Parts: sequence; C-alpha cells; structure tokens
Amino acid sequence: MNVTCNDRDRIFQDGTPADWAALEAHAASCVSCAEELRGWQSLSLAASELRDYSDSRALWPRIRQSLAEQAAVAKQQEKHWSWRSLLLNLSLSWQTATAAALVLLLMLSAGWLLRPPTPAPLQSTGLLKSKALADVENAESAYVQAIDKLAAEARPQLETPGTALMANYREKLLVLDSAIDDLRAQTGQNPSNAHLRYELLAMYQEKQRTLEEILEEKR
Amino acid sequence: MGMMGLALAWETRIPPVAQRERRVEPFREQVAAPDPAADIMRAEDLALATACQSGDLRAYERLYALHGARMKNLARNILGSSTDAEDAVQETFLKVQRGIGSFRGQSSFATWTFRILVNTCYDARRSRLRKKEVAAVDEREDAAPQPEPRASSAHPSLRLALERALAKLTRHQRDVFLLYEVEGFRHAEISEMLEISEAASKNTLFQAKKNLRQMLEPPRHSDAAGAR
Repeated sequence: MNVTCNDRDRIFQDGTPADWAALEAHAASCVSCAEELRGWQSLSLAASELRDYSDSRALWPRIRQSLAEQAAVAKQQEKHWSWRSLLLNLSLSWQTATAAALVLLLMLSAGWLLRPPTPAPLQSTGLLKSKALADVENAESAYVQAIDKLAAEARPQLETPGTALMANYREKLLVLDSAIDDLRAQTGQNPSNAHLRYELLAMYQEKQRTLEEILEEKR
Repeated sequence: MGMMGLALAWETRIPPVAQRERRVEPFREQVAAPDPAADIMRAEDLALATACQSGDLRAYERLYALHGARMKNLARNILGSSTDAEDAVQETFLKVQRGIGSFRGQSSFATWTFRILVNTCYDARRSRLRKKEVAAVDEREDAAPQPEPRASSAHPSLRLALERALAKLTRHQRDVFLLYEVEGFRHAEISEMLEISEAASKNTLFQAKKNLRQMLEPPRHSDAAGAR
C-alpha cells in the first residue's frame, strides 16, 4: 500500500494497522512525516505520566460503609412502599386494569351511598316479630275457646231452629265459620301477616256478636 | 497559542524503554477473530452486574478491586484533586447501587459504571464552581481545575505540562484523551460512556492530540525562521 503525506491525518484519525505500517514505511523516507509520526506517538507515551494507580485500598472501607448504610435505608423504605412498588412493577396493562377496577369500585360505592331512599314495602310494616306473634296467638286461642263456650250454649237453638230468624243466624254462623276456616288456613301459611290476623279477629268478633244475639233470643 | 512555556522536547523526555513499548492505537480497535479472553471478561462482567443487583456487597468489593484504581485515577485527572476524586468514586458506587435495577446490559457493566463516574465528576465540578470553594478556578464550563501535586513520577515536568495543556482542551477532547490514552479504553467503550458515536470519539481524539501537540511542541525551525 502506498501512502503520501496527504494520507497522514486520515491515518492518525482512523487508520487500519495496514495504513499505519504503510505510513511508517513512508516516514522512513519522509522527514516531515517521520517527525509528525514520532510526535504523535510520543503524545500517547506522555499520557502514561497521568497514570497513578497507587494503592487505593484505604478508600474501600469508606465506600463499603456508605453502601451498607444506603442498603439499610433502602430496605426500610421498601417496607413502607411495598404496595406502591408492587403497583409500579406491574406491567402497563395490569396497571391500567387495576386503575379501571379501582374506578369501577369507587363508582359503585358512590352509587350505593347516593341512591334515593326506597319506600319500605307495605307488608314489612305489618310483619310481626316472633315474640309478638306468640302473644297474639295465645290471646287468639283464649278468645277462640271463649267463643266456643258461647257456641256450645247456643247449639240447642241452632240445631232445631224454631223461627226463621234462628235459621238465618244458623246460616250466618255457617258462613262465618267457613270464612274463619279460610282465614285460619291463610294465617297458618303466613302467621306474621297482621292484615290476615285483623280480618280473622273481625270474623271472631262477628261470630261472638251473633252468638250473643242468639243467646239473647233464648232468654 | 501562548503555550510556549510548556514546550517540550519529546524525544529527550520520553525514556527509551517507553519508546520501545510504544503503542500504535489502531491495533486496539481491530478485533479480527473471536477472542476467548474477551468472552470470559464479558461473562465475568455480567456475573458481577447480577451479583450487584442482588445487593451483595462482596460484588461491589470485586468491582472496586477490578476498576477502583482506574476510576480514582480518571476522577483525579478530571477533578485535579485526590480528595475530590475519592469522593467522586464513593458517590459513583452509591449511584451504581441506587441505579443497578435500571441496568439492562446494553453496555458492559464497567462501561456503565465509568459513565456514571464521568457524570459524577462533572456534577462535582459544577457544584464546586457554584460554591466557589476553589477561588482560582476558571469559570468556564470546559475549564479544568489546577492539578494538585501528586506522587512523584519519572517525568514530573512532562506530566505537569500535559496536565496544563489538557486543562486548555474542551471537555469532550479532555474526556476522550483521558479515557483512550490514559485509561486505555477502546473507542467503542468511550462512545458508550460519553454517548457519542465511535467516529465522533476518533475525531475528538484526533483533534485533542492535534491541539496538545501544538501546545506542547517546541516551535519548529521553519516557524522560527519565518519569525525572523
């Protein structure tokens, strides 16, 4: 390979080993290039004067101490920020999904808290609690027994009705008993329904009045 | 250029032994065949990075054993003070520990560490300038500090002249010269450290050496004759 003085800077900047060998060969017969080449290479050698790799072992204990302290602080912070770092370490898609789930949860919570007050169902006000229901059933049982005693007293007149009025009373009592049986069947299925209880009570009261009227007629 | 006081007769100042060992720089860049030693070094570098990521302090000790002296030397050449250099190396290790999680292996671990070191040195210089702790520091960004006396060398006057000439270079020229000529990094490594292209690294080194030669070389006979 032939090189000239004009190639010198290019070789200094980015020459291949072959270029350098060719330049050295050229420098053997070119005073100017020989001087440049010597100066150039001398600069590299002079740079070695800036190398001082003297013992630096004393520095390591200081560095080690500061590294250990920093690691301890980082560990402490890690405890406090574990949830945060967990979120940050999630992939973008998981972060997006988590954020969307949180937003949805917030919206549902807000919707629940801000919902309009719903009217209580009618039936719920009429529902009786278990102890109250027992009291009602006891009173009803005693009431029924008392009415049965009246019915037993009126039975002779009703079995052989001597008048049309007595025959009407008998018909009325049959209708009332039929209605009472229906209502008792319904309250048996739904014992806490106060409305049925009131209707049943009204039927018993009507039966009581009818029996009283029959007994009045007897006297 | 006003640097005549630094002029040196190179051939008389560089010892014969050194001249025999002279290095022709392009050889460092040519890697024709796969190098088993380089593969081993790369594997060790990766293992070291992994160990540091696990928080093992012994790995940091190994990193220091491998590169600590060179790191301190580079920091001293940038900062001009052994004390500041030690602080910069310590700060670099702390930054490596803090940032090791972000190391993805795009460059070698050593290259990554030296990049942090160079940035730390310039941060320290800027901070020092702001605090005006050093009165005689040139206020320019590229200016280098006055070097402090160091351990005796074979050619103290040569070293002093070179340090003063380096202080007149731009920051990039000084960095590339120190990394290539003093610390022995390849242009590929320097390009990763300084985040420039390899071509830019070569060109910057060329300009740096050209400027240094102009500053350090004695006036040529032809120049002197021209002056007469």
